[in-house]
Amino acid sequence: MIMREKRRYILFEVISEGEVDKHGLQNAIWDSIYSLYGDTGASESRLWLINYDSGTGIGVLRCAHRTVEKVRAALACIHSADGARTAIRVVRVSGTLKGARVRARARAKARRERERER
Amino acid sequence: MPSFFLFDVRLQSGMSADEMLRAARRFGYAGICIYNEDEAVMPSPDINLDPSVHTGIEIRTDSVSELKRKLRRYRSRVPLIVVHGGEEKMNMAAVKDHRVDVLTHPCGEKWERGDLKHQILMLKYAARNGIAIEFDLNPVIKSRRSERARILRRLHENLKLMRKYHVMPLLTTNTRSIYDLRAPREMIALASLCGMEREEAIMALSEIPAGILTRRWKRGREVEQL
Repeated sequence: MIMREKRRYILFEVISEGEVDKHGLQNAIWDSIYSLYGDTGASESRLWLINYDSGTGIGVLRCAHRTVEKVRAALACIHSADGARTAIRVVRVSGTLKGARVRARARAKARRERERER
Repeated sequence: MPSFFLFDVRLQSGMSADEMLRAARRFGYAGICIYNEDEAVMPSPDINLDPSVHTGIEIRTDSVSELKRKLRRYRSRVPLIVVHGGEEKMNMAAVKDHRVDVLTHPCGEKWERGDLKHQILMLKYAARNGIAIEFDLNPVIKSRRSERARILRRLHENLKLMRKYHVMPLLTTNTRSIYDLRAPREMIALASLCGMEREEAIMALSEIPAGILTRRWKRGREVEQL
């Protein structure tokens, strides 16, 4: 019998009018998931914000593998965070934290370079 | 992966079609369709530069005779015609007219439950004339609690009827800025909240809009030949 539930790591990108800090983003995500699925649904998703860089807007979220689509819908329902208009785009869903982190670093680097070019 | 198209895009002041297209492509769309409000028939010059940007006109009126007049007026000038519905008589007038391509907001702004017989008749006409009906997910994103529950229920009911009468749904999010953009997979996840199957949602984002645009291009050529 498998005791440990499979997890998925969601690499996401925040597109916002202003800078959104980790606390503000966490509140927005939890608010959205509670509002959409209630307490039991939120607990089933086993959601956890692993890291988030407010400078680049890139972060990694952990959830149960059965609830990836639910979390995706909840992320799509976020339209503001910290009072700023916000959209969250899921970049990739990974089975390991290492995979998500590697891609997060690459994406953050690319984004910084793009901003430097501007 | 199919090519996804985003309809119901309106440009806010200070935003160019090019910027919106770049953002939409980043989200995974192959093209966008910008609706111009009534009267502003001619799109800005930069819009026609990229073939992935399509334009249409949205007719907003409360009177059927005005709608007919505008359809006559725009038919030869604009290839894609969208009608803003809401009231029963406007919905019916729009779906009865084969010159219309898309009917938006058929439930109106208040999401009130309409007469079922009327709704069925409207959907039958829409199916017969090949008119797509917008399935706007923006109210699901923006509302909360009981209001969201009511909207989801209405969307669910509409979807059941649309399935029964083979009407084409068109998934949109009423995009005004890049903050209103949602990626295709997010749209599919949101559509599943209203009971839409994954395949149905993919069709409503790819094949159906592409079909509307192909018809539009055909008609565009007809307009040019005239």
